[in-house]
Amino acid sequence: MRIRVEYEVNSELRFLSNLDMMNVIQRALRRADIPYALSEGFNPHIRLSMGTVLPVGLWGQREYFDLELSERMSIEGFSSKMNAVLPPTIEINHACEIEQLTPALMKVINATAYVFVINADDVDVSAWRDQVLNRDILMVKSRGKKKGIDKDLKKGIYKIELINNEMVTNIIIWVSSGEPVNIRYDELLDMMQQTGLDSRLIIDVYRQGNYIKVGEQFYSPLKKVKVFE
Amino acid sequence: MKDKLYRDILPRVSKPARYTGNELNVIKKDWETSHTKMVFAFPDVYEIGMSHIGGKILYGLVNEKTDHLMERSYAPWPDMESIMREENIPLYSLESFRPLADFDIVGFSLQYELSITNILNMLDLSGIPLKSEQRGEDDPLIVAGGPVAFNPEPFADFIDVFFIGDGEEVLPEFLDAYYNNRHLGRQECLIKMAAIEGIYVPQLYNVEYFSDNTIKSRQPLYAGIPSIIRKRVVANLDEAYYPDKPVLPYMEIIHDRAVLEVMRGCQRGCRFCHAGMVYRPTRERSIDTLFGQARNQLLHTGYEEVSLASLSTLDYSAVDQLVKGLVAEHGPRGVGVALPSLRVDAFSIELANEVQKVRKTTLTLAPEAGSQRLRDVINKNVDTEQLLSAVEAAFKSGWMSIKLYFMIGLPTENREDLDGILDLLDEVKKVGNQYSRRPVEIRASMACFVPKPHTPFQWQPQNNIAELQDKIAWLRRSKRKHIKLSFHDSQTSYLEGVIARGDRRLGEVILTAWQKGCRFDGWSEYFSFERWMDSFHQCAIEPDFYVTRQRAYSEIMPWDFIDIGVTKEFLAEENELAMAGILSPDCRQVGCTGCGVCTSLEVDLDIRGEENFAHQG
Ligand code: SF4
Repeated sequence: MRIRVEYEVNSELRFLSNLDMMNVIQRALRRADIPYALSEGFNPHIRLSMGTVLPVGLWGQREYFDLELSERMSIEGFSSKMNAVLPPTIEINHACEIEQLTPALMKVINATAYVFVINADDVDVSAWRDQVLNRDILMVKSRGKKKGIDKDLKKGIYKIELINNEMVTNIIIWVSSGEPVNIRYDELLDMMQQTGLDSRLIIDVYRQGNYIKVGEQFYSPLKKVKVFE
Repeated sequence: MKDKLYRDILPRVSKPARYTGNELNVIKKDWETSHTKMVFAFPDVYEIGMSHIGGKILYGLVNEKTDHLMERSYAPWPDMESIMREENIPLYSLESFRPLADFDIVGFSLQYELSITNILNMLDLSGIPLKSEQRGEDDPLIVAGGPVAFNPEPFADFIDVFFIGDGEEVLPEFLDAYYNNRHLGRQECLIKMAAIEGIYVPQLYNVEYFSDNTIKSRQPLYAGIPSIIRKRVVANLDEAYYPDKPVLPYMEIIHDRAVLEVMRGCQRGCRFCHAGMVYRPTRERSIDTLFGQARNQLLHTGYEEVSLASLSTLDYSAVDQLVKGLVAEHGPRGVGVALPSLRVDAFSIELANEVQKVRKTTLTLAPEAGSQRLRDVINKNVDTEQLLSAVEAAFKSGWMSIKLYFMIGLPTENREDLDGILDLLDEVKKVGNQYSRRPVEIRASMACFVPKPHTPFQWQPQNNIAELQDKIAWLRRSKRKHIKLSFHDSQTSYLEGVIARGDRRLGEVILTAWQKGCRFDGWSEYFSFERWMDSFHQCAIEPDFYVTRQRAYSEIMPWDFIDIGVTKEFLAEENELAMAGILSPDCRQVGCTGCGVCTSLEVDLDIRGEENFAHQG
């Protein structure tokens, strides 16, 4: 039985690396005595595959992993057993069974939404958004492995939403992940700085979720599975 | 405080998860209702401190079994340190985020001689005066324990109270006594504490020296203060506390696995070995206790591996059943067993094969010396044949790489002994290549021998840096294919040697070195030998006095007043046997060899194998 799981990583765990996060989940699987399947070979490991890497420094509202089980169990049973042993800083919110042939998360996730929470007392955020969306190119120096190359973010920025709360504004930027261009959150920070939004106004950054974009629609990796059915 | 950390501080440092705490199984006791409040401070970074078994034991013991409270703190890495200083953030505990100065007791773990500068740095970051004599009524008591505390003298200026021996014996008693005497003034309180067995309060003693700088006498300043400090020993390890729910770190630490302490102590009697002498006698846990502890730890951590830690795990009397039992019980869930120290024999290799999941990784063995003559001198009871048969068994079963540990600079060592190392490596390679199609990799790691207090070699001179460099050059003179040699830094070893056998006059040098910026001296990227040498010079203290001098049996050693149970006569006799190249047997096999520990401490060798076998039968 194969399942796909959506979980939230609380802001206290924002400094964990991807490997640390994988350990947290694997150890919880063992503590909860989940009937996980093991790989063959000299060094058997749990058949777990993680979604896209949550960057160090960010927390995540909707993160994903796929897991292979060696026997059937109910989805509710899985979630409640896991939540009982996970630290309070991580919580499983949804899960569903997926077909054996469902492509891996890393293959299908092609969009991400990052949320920048800013202290917006005296900035006109919607004017900023309009001018960003009206530009033809949004050039930054790339970060990550291929550092310092000119990179145009324009074609990978799908939409920018603004949500005003009392004191702060959430800027939600929906971007491409992988193809056609892989946009990192720190590149977005550079872009914001360049387009006149002072990074000192940002009080929190997190990843709202990973999505499968088909046409103009963004599907949750859980929902998308059902769409195929 | 926590907010500021998360927002402004931690995003700017490397490995921020070192400083966040709140791991699974953390214990946060109520501050107000807890009796004595202690912080366990480890003078190295989180991932090293969290790997240390002693700390896990004391943390669980105090928090679960007593009315006192224990929190944790580790040395901040230099990037974090400089931000803390800039922003005026005091060193804090990972449980309540309180500054260390708020605690009653700050307890340091002394695992390594050179971590003393980190201790000073941690005190300074806490705003606590560095020297005992400068501390006032409101300052915490600074205490320390661990293997290095068996010669506490070099640290006497900085530490108010030392614990000598097994911490789980003395610490709860000390915390109770402190709580009952908390109304007393600092000095009176210390005098009370000094009456507890295994506790040493250095300020309460006066030391006099001869003109040649050796010790003339040491005396307690007050009546009723013991002149000899006897180590504390857990007599029944099987019933001693061991944590079932160790704190599970979020970030990867050095030993990131469940750990069983199958036994404490080692009777092999290698003459250079500090741990082998100070932790006598050998006490084992029963196999049923160990199975239970493994089960519980795995249940509460979800670790993927359980490691059998001890000085020489393969000597555990029921090691075969233990290993096989653990593999049978936990293997099907993908949980492995690790054997960190192997004996040099074929049985060890067989057992290693039993647990080794991934082939072709490195197997580690420690022959320690290259020639039979020198192995006899150090009482490493291994002959070349045994070594080669172990190596043969390893290569036969598919290992591709072997790492061998040696020491250079051992007493009586000569060129032939050094060449013996190279010959041995050649032979090992030859054996390997008989069994493998690809050339095997041989790695040899050479430590520089540092004579340790309370060992038969405590009187022996240590090689100076030039001698060691010479030997290193000699060993490196010709390259050998597929054999890699690596050497410990001879300057670091020299400084370890000074402090290992130092006396209380070194306090001044240590303080000066810290003031000049020394810290993380165990890390090559921060170690500065020049700064240390400047400090010796400035304090007009000659380091060679402690390191390269042959000491007389009649000399009073700085640590003589610490009674580890093993007699000085036994150590001297062992030293004589060493010089004559005569082996001494293991008392487990031949009966008591008269080291003195069992009689003087009223404990016994506690070997549980017989009982284990009886169980099975
Ligand atoms: S076998 Fe030798 S070196 Fe190892 S712990 Fe025992 S005495 Fe020390």
